[in-house]
Amino acid sequence: MLIRKKVLAFGALALTAALATTACTSRDDTGGGGGGGGGGDDKVTVAFVPKLQGVPYFEAMNAGGKAAAEELGIEWLYQGPTTADAAAQADIVRSFIQQGVDALIVAPNDPDSMAPLLQEAADAGIQVGTSDTDAPNSVREVFVNQASAQGIGEGLTDALLEAMGGSGKYAIVSCGETAANLNSWIEVQEAYTAEKYPDAEIVDIVYAGEDQAAATSMATDLMNAHPDLTGLVGECTSSAPGVAQAVSDAGKIGQVFTVGLGTPQSMKPYIEDGSSSASILWDVEALGYLTAWAGLQLAEDNGFEATNDVSDDLPEVAFDESNKELLLGPALRITSENVDDFDY
Amino acid sequence: MTAVAHERASKPIVKRILPPPVTGQELVLVGVIAVLWVLLGIFTPSFLSPSSIQPLLVSVAPIALIGVGMTFIIITAGIDVSVGGAIALCAVVTAKLLVNYDVPLIVAVLVSMVLGTVLGLINGTLIAYGRVHAIIITFGTANIFQFFALRVFGSSTVNGIPSTLDVFGRGESGRTLGVPHSFAITILVVLIAWWYLRNTAGGRHLFAIGGNENAARLAGVKVQPRVVFAYVATGALVGLGACFFIAAGTSTLDQGVGAGRELAVIAAVVIGGTSILGGRGSVIGTLLGAILVQTVNSGVTQLGWPSQLANLFVGIFIIIAVGTDLLRERARRSRA
Repeated sequence: MLIRKKVLAFGALALTAALATTACTSRDDTGGGGGGGGGGDDKVTVAFVPKLQGVPYFEAMNAGGKAAAEELGIEWLYQGPTTADAAAQADIVRSFIQQGVDALIVAPNDPDSMAPLLQEAADAGIQVGTSDTDAPNSVREVFVNQASAQGIGEGLTDALLEAMGGSGKYAIVSCGETAANLNSWIEVQEAYTAEKYPDAEIVDIVYAGEDQAAATSMATDLMNAHPDLTGLVGECTSSAPGVAQAVSDAGKIGQVFTVGLGTPQSMKPYIEDGSSSASILWDVEALGYLTAWAGLQLAEDNGFEATNDVSDDLPEVAFDESNKELLLGPALRITSENVDDFDY
Repeated sequence: MTAVAHERASKPIVKRILPPPVTGQELVLVGVIAVLWVLLGIFTPSFLSPSSIQPLLVSVAPIALIGVGMTFIIITAGIDVSVGGAIALCAVVTAKLLVNYDVPLIVAVLVSMVLGTVLGLINGTLIAYGRVHAIIITFGTANIFQFFALRVFGSSTVNGIPSTLDVFGRGESGRTLGVPHSFAITILVVLIAWWYLRNTAGGRHLFAIGGNENAARLAGVKVQPRVVFAYVATGALVGLGACFFIAAGTSTLDQGVGAGRELAVIAAVVIGGTSILGGRGSVIGTLLGAILVQTVNSGVTQLGWPSQLANLFVGIFIIIAVGTDLLRERARRSRA
């Protein structure tokens, strides 16, 4: 009897879980109300599919998109997979195609496998674009670029070498080995370091995945492997605090300097104790705003000017006709002076 | 005549009740680790220094700790692939208690262990009494635990985790006589589990269940409560291990905290010589397996080799370990 009760209780629990998931999904799907049907009412529907849902980075983009939707009078739909999984993301894209949204913008986990899906969407009469991460070999009509690879790579290098005094050995703790954007920044860092800081040297590049604990222990290993190491770069939001934590643990604050691409709130304690010199990022909410705005322009077939007046905060957004890229602006350096301006 | 036969029969029985304290496979592992450490000591500037070994032990601790429970489970011929989801749920609850509710550390750790125990009880009950294979049940619960963890995370990371967790092994305050506390606790748990598996009826019953469940049942072993116990013990250790994982991370906890940990734990258990078919295994082997895996990870980085080689080496170790086990089993069967 007791057993059966437990099984029943568990079944009920599972059912609740399933219902809660559905409820959550449908709420997100319909966004501001009025149905996700797209053609159902006059409002333009712009759907954005992030790499994954529930991380501060994409939630901040969502907040920016929502703000834009309110100001621009569009409907903003936001849904992504709970793990950065290309197949799960593809399912969400398909569901938006079936709903017949007006504009569909994706931050693809796997650009190559996303390309045919974007073709499918375009065939269904949906305007398609990418944001945050591009799918270069696709039919996308615009890529909303947060910052150029040049801007990020040079921003990271300058911030680090400033702390290191312009010379010395440093290492990079990257995340996914195949992440195209991370690799493009690393390429710039290598070239720019060699060109501008001839006395500095990148001694190693390691890959920790999206795993903070692994990033921390690899940074520790790097410091042990290179006793004369004076700099570390955390190339993504999980390794940026990871390398700073490793320096703090090893008692090497002021001896080994770190910079990284970390979200402001996660970097705050490290920026305050000096284990992180700076975080290089961009205004993620503004990126979400620009994404929603770009979706509206696509849906209304307005096209883009060479420079676009998007909003009061984004008065001059450049559009590159040759590769159809909207560029948010220069990379942002987050230090102890402005870290409190961001609530994500 | 009968007396002699009786004497003959009783001697091996006494031996079987108390198996050798250390097995050949464990000695081989100790040898492999020793060779690797010596080689790394020679070929890297400071692998054998405290600043390298201490963080290594901190990384080993949660894997080996949860591996103790996983060893119990795999000895019963079960498996638990839900520990990643369970770690995520325990970790986020603990972190939120510490950050948002200012709960004392000891209370947060206890809550985490109780929560882990409940999750283990759910797994164990469904597996023992529902008679569905463990991998199916725990694959299901893994997703459900992950779901609840994501709900608690509520679309954001937990920022500003206090430094009270440092006591588990981070920095000077986390070490006594140079040994990180998380590793010391893990050693203690391994010793207790080693004694339990070797010297108590309950421990021997786990082996009996994994060897042949029906035979064990016919011999009077209470199979179902023993199986539930293995999953509950794992759950409690997951609760404690989750705190070790938070302490080994940064002051921010993100949703990736449990991702892939079930495979890391199972790898340690399997490399440690526990048979994936059940009925044979050791917690000391699991500890050594966890140390070997982390040695490979650290070693590859410290040697300046490409990171992906760590995957290759760990994969080779798993295949050698499982292969040896299966060959041994096949040899045993063909003899019989």
